[in-house]
Amino acid sequence: MLDKKLKWIFNTFSGSVFNTVISTFCIVLLFFVINNLLGFISNSEWAVVTENRRLLLIGRMPQEEEWRAWSILWISSFLIFSSLKSFISPSKKELTFIFLIVMILCLIFTTESSIFKVIITLMISSFSYLLTKYISDTPIIHKFNKFLIFLWIFLVPLVFCLLLIADGPKPTLWGGFLLNIILASVAIGIGFPLGLLFALGRASSLPAIKIVCTVYIETIRGAPLVAWLLLAWFVLPKFLPEFWGLNDISVVVRAMIILSAFTSAYTAEVIRGGLQSIPKGQIEAADSLNLNVFTKTSIIILPQAIRVVIPALISTFIGVFKDTSLVFILALTDLLQVGRIIPEQDPEFFGKALEALSVVAFMFWIVSIALSNLSSRVEKSMGIGTR
Amino acid sequence: MNLFIDKLSKWSRSQRNRNLIYQIIFLLFIGLFVNYLIAKASLLELTLNHFNSRAGFGISHTFLIDYSSNNDRWSAYFTGVINTIRVCLVAIVIATLIGTLMGVARLSKNILFSTIAFLYVEILRNTPLLIQIIFWQIIFLKLPRISEALTLGSTVVISNRGILLPYAKASETNSSNIFLYIILLAIILAFCISYYLNKREDIDGMKFKLFNINLNGNLTGTLIFLIISVFAYYILQKPYIIDLPSLYQNSKGTFLQSGGFEFSPEFGAILFALVIYTGTFITEIVRGSIQSLPKGQTEAALSLGLSNYQTMTVILLPQALRSIIPPLTNQFLNLTKNSSLAVVIAYPELFMVSRTIMNNSGRALPVFFLILFTYLSLSLFISVFMNLINRRVTRIGT
Repeated sequence: MLDKKLKWIFNTFSGSVFNTVISTFCIVLLFFVINNLLGFISNSEWAVVTENRRLLLIGRMPQEEEWRAWSILWISSFLIFSSLKSFISPSKKELTFIFLIVMILCLIFTTESSIFKVIITLMISSFSYLLTKYISDTPIIHKFNKFLIFLWIFLVPLVFCLLLIADGPKPTLWGGFLLNIILASVAIGIGFPLGLLFALGRASSLPAIKIVCTVYIETIRGAPLVAWLLLAWFVLPKFLPEFWGLNDISVVVRAMIILSAFTSAYTAEVIRGGLQSIPKGQIEAADSLNLNVFTKTSIIILPQAIRVVIPALISTFIGVFKDTSLVFILALTDLLQVGRIIPEQDPEFFGKALEALSVVAFMFWIVSIALSNLSSRVEKSMGIGTR
Repeated sequence: MNLFIDKLSKWSRSQRNRNLIYQIIFLLFIGLFVNYLIAKASLLELTLNHFNSRAGFGISHTFLIDYSSNNDRWSAYFTGVINTIRVCLVAIVIATLIGTLMGVARLSKNILFSTIAFLYVEILRNTPLLIQIIFWQIIFLKLPRISEALTLGSTVVISNRGILLPYAKASETNSSNIFLYIILLAIILAFCISYYLNKREDIDGMKFKLFNINLNGNLTGTLIFLIISVFAYYILQKPYIIDLPSLYQNSKGTFLQSGGFEFSPEFGAILFALVIYTGTFITEIVRGSIQSLPKGQTEAALSLGLSNYQTMTVILLPQALRSIIPPLTNQFLNLTKNSSLAVVIAYPELFMVSRTIMNNSGRALPVFFLILFTYLSLSLFISVFMNLINRRVTRIGT
């Protein structure tokens, strides 16, 4: 037994000269990276993060408006953790991983004044998870799932209500991680349906519609996002009609418009790939059943097309979420911008740029890795690629 | 009247005619919208005449073009375009190499190697490019100050003003241009000869013999190139000399550096970030393509007695190339567009220069169209080039 293991180790790490060289190189590299990383973590002072938690998370939103952010956090943690059990049902390993990440986040962002609210958040999360686990065998679960989907769809309007009711702070005061999340969800919420339309338009047999959609998609994809955002900064207000005070809209709304347009072009390209993958027989069968265009598209073509491209769609959404950090060009203080500005402008934290940046990177990484795990989950559960 | 309605209903019963009507209505709306946009745009200045006036701002990185702030805006713009092309070209080549290496590493049986590739992809793909650019800039600025610069045996100077590397410099003999032409000719000649020899070996099944020596195509080509260039170098009395970077203090005690090839922190930061970020996506593409090949290919190659290395380079990668190239093109286009993020660390590429011009002139729209046009033409160029390669690759084995 031991002999076999030794042989296995020998074969995998030093079967040939080339392999031995690679293994040695890898060990040296890993040692170097881990050594540097541990040295960095233990030697650096985290005051730059711990004293600016509020700025990093919600930007310059006034103290008395903080309850809005907390309620958004509670609603979304309820939603996330109930859907986690209900739709994904993670294994023990994944649960430990999630638990670790939540603990690290709490460690970074808990202050003495907010410890009560953090405990409420943790209780809501665990309670909603356990509740869903308890009812998962009863027939109520179907109704509960429908309720969850309904909530997910109306989450963005709900968040906006929470941010705007009772004289909410001006959109320019939104900032930090909250701004990234809001921008990304608006961009995806508006961009996805639009992208669907453009993809259908580009696949349409009517030449006029096809050409217009193609021109739109290719123009948006032609220039980088920063260039479009700069355009929004300079000339977008001049192109909006003059009534309802539309031509001095807030910079945040401009960023939302541009990000939605951008997302729609990119999702349209992804969905077009799905549309092309549908076998022709499906469309012919639908035609021979005498379905009209609308029914044919909505119940035959789209469900199959979107099913195939869900992983690609999610990676586009991850890209959009990462791209929300580009709003620095509109002078908005999103998470990355806060993390950059503090070490540059506060003399107390000079030279602590790397610490702030690593926490910012960690926040972005968590959301992206969660989404990408979701995508591989969906891929496995639908059996794409195994057919 | 009734007759007309009758005819109309008959006419509209055909699918083709109805489609025509839909399109006309659609175009009408689009036309109204475009008309509105044009009406709004005509209130703005739309010409690029101001590009002929003096630029009035300096650019820190100039390459191939001599630019000063007294030149016109066109030359500032072209300096930016050249900077973009420069960083993209280098980044594309290195990112492809790293991506291929890591993609192969992901499938390696050596667990250490594949774990490193896995961590590389999962960690770096999921953080925004902007963070990585800023990270590399901070790293480069953490290098020692110029007064404490590292000099590796007076060949390399490393400080936070950049890294100076030894570089070739034309000497005073004025024959440097002739030397360059000779080198170019030698490269072409070497390629022709090695191509001919390889082709002959493919057809005849044996190597071309000269004085009873077997000639290997690639080796012969390299040798011919080396012999010609070394001879030319001495015949032309050393047209190029090695330019070593130097570090010295002037009379006021200020440190100055000169000579060599300057690898500035900004260029380094944007290059590293682009290479490493795009490399993760290329890794996934390469891995996916190799995995999608039938397993029989590997088994057949191994049973023929090929080594693991040969299996990968001769059997698997050439076949995987067919499904690698189209998504790879997409990544190259993304890389080109992502290079505009260099604006955050003030590397003066196309976007940053254009933004400065926009701010100075106050005419945003035409400059934006110029940006759009430039990126579209760069994309078109890359697509055409990659399509040529794709055509060549898909022809193999058919």
